[in-house]
Amino acid sequence: MTRLPLSLAVKELRHDWRGSLCFIAALVGVLAPMLVVLALKNGFIGTMIDRLVDDPSNRELLAVGSGAYDAQFFDMIAARDDVAFIVPATRSINTVANSLRNRPKRNLERAVPLIPTAAGDPLLGGLVVEKGQMALSETLAAELELAIGEKAEMIIGRKLDGDQQNAVSELTVTGIVPERLYSRYAMFISLPDLLAVERFRDDKLLTPETWRDGLDMQESYASFRLYARALDDLRVLESALTDAGAQVRPRAENATVLLLFRKNLDILYAAVALIAAAGFWAAMAANLRGVVERQRVSFSFLDLLGLSDRARKSIPVFQSLILVGLGICVTFIIVGLILVTINLGFANAPQQMAARLGPLDVIGTLILGVLTALTASGWAVLAIDRIGTEEVLRHA
Amino acid sequence: MSDAGVVHIRDIGIRLGDELVVIVDALDMDAGDVVVLDAISGAGKSTALGLIAGALPAERMSVSSAHRLSGQSITPELPRDKFSGPDRLGFVLQTNILIPYLSISENIDLPMTIAGQRPETDWREHLVRALGLTGLTDRMPTEVSVGQRQRVTIARALLGQPDLLLLDEPVSALDPVNVGQVERLIEVLAQDAGSAVILASHQAARGAFADARRVGHRTEDQGGVLYSRFSDAYEGEMAA
Repeated sequence: MTRLPLSLAVKELRHDWRGSLCFIAALVGVLAPMLVVLALKNGFIGTMIDRLVDDPSNRELLAVGSGAYDAQFFDMIAARDDVAFIVPATRSINTVANSLRNRPKRNLERAVPLIPTAAGDPLLGGLVVEKGQMALSETLAAELELAIGEKAEMIIGRKLDGDQQNAVSELTVTGIVPERLYSRYAMFISLPDLLAVERFRDDKLLTPETWRDGLDMQESYASFRLYARALDDLRVLESALTDAGAQVRPRAENATVLLLFRKNLDILYAAVALIAAAGFWAAMAANLRGVVERQRVSFSFLDLLGLSDRARKSIPVFQSLILVGLGICVTFIIVGLILVTINLGFANAPQQMAARLGPLDVIGTLILGVLTALTASGWAVLAIDRIGTEEVLRHA
Repeated sequence: MSDAGVVHIRDIGIRLGDELVVIVDALDMDAGDVVVLDAISGAGKSTALGLIAGALPAERMSVSSAHRLSGQSITPELPRDKFSGPDRLGFVLQTNILIPYLSISENIDLPMTIAGQRPETDWREHLVRALGLTGLTDRMPTEVSVGQRQRVTIARALLGQPDLLLLDEPVSALDPVNVGQVERLIEVLAQDAGSAVILASHQAARGAFADARRVGHRTEDQGGVLYSRFSDAYEGEMAA
């Protein structure tokens, strides 16, 4: 039997519409600022985090100094769930090709950094650079007027007994690394090609004609390129690498700082929201209890007329749900308008959206509202439980 | 008096604190009977009405205790909706209480609504017209006078044509000119409904119920506890 108590609950709220409006206004007054702050937090911090996540370089851990990392080390690190990509590097700083030449266009760039790559390189998306191929940073490709599918000459020089010797390798451009991922000049080449370059410079017995023949993989490497799977993995992975004897540091320290800031901000927001919710809960419980007190004789009379205890007790529960429901609806309308205004104000800002509420925020607010409504009406329900028929009989 | 009458009560009571016990020793009523609980203020008339109606948890004061309304045995454990429907009991209280957020019409229909019953249209129209409430039914309780409120409570109590109509000082808030008129209306409409009537009043010596049967009343002080007893059997012991 819910229709009659629901009807009584609605009629009482309608009768005392000013009180109901005040109550809804109180809820909106607490909830709306909290949701606006949440939306701003989601928008500004979320956008910054999204940008960090989108940029793989923020997930890169740089090896500090030179080491001696063997195959077992690379197998162990590559097997970790928090590692997205690792490839050996021959030096702690990038090897440099003497020049890269686009012969047909007569373009040449000197001292081009060589970066080892392999399958799964976050900077290259799904592209795999095989032996004899290369990916160019967008800036370098533009400078040399090279496009995917074209060839260019990589020139590796060395001095032997005072004579300058150059080894030339023609590589095919198979990929372009976008500027937002890598802004400087660089060639991304396979590890065998990089090893060949190093060997030509170190081994006097090799000639510019034979420098790429009979190449073996090294037993250990001085460095590596390493990317964590997620920003949150950086700290743990850094610690694990240190334990494995590899000193590393995040390329973007601000990423971890921002993550920490986000975590602290989440805790701070949760604390403020909790305090606000507790305050509202107390105000709501007191208000509903006050309504019961004002309608004490009516509740007693309803008992005298045979309205069941369950039906009587459900009246403040319905009222609580209705008031909170209306309050949340009004809040969403107001907050929606505020967010539209804010986002229009930031329309030219680099962020995609300055303030936003996600479906989870909306659902969470509704669930929290229902829980608050149900629990806050408990005091009123208890009060009704103690109102018997004798009150109306003795009421004078 | 048969046990199948409207009211059959023997020796039930209720303790109100440490100093007062209200007891209904004996009361029997058939359909159409009218009795008056005529006792001084504070004697427990309203409490006695509550006991009779089963609205208060009655204590069995002896082994011969009995409490039946319309043939239904009443116990504190029995849910009120099993015996307090608008076709069984009708209340008119001293304070003319109306639910403030319901219209006059909704207030009149409330007991029937709670019981899930539909009023007889002709009887409802008769009540509203007879009580001078035509044209007031859409108003809220705050928009009618004290006398009109009282007539609304009478309409509400009689709408279900109850077996028993309980009146608790129903005219105490009215001016003397209206008292007789309202009492006569109650008497006539109760007769139309076929209701037995119990009137708790300290001013029933005159007016429409002046000749009605009186329920006797006596008080006994036993060790500092006042026993206020009502009974059909106490003829000539009314404390007016």
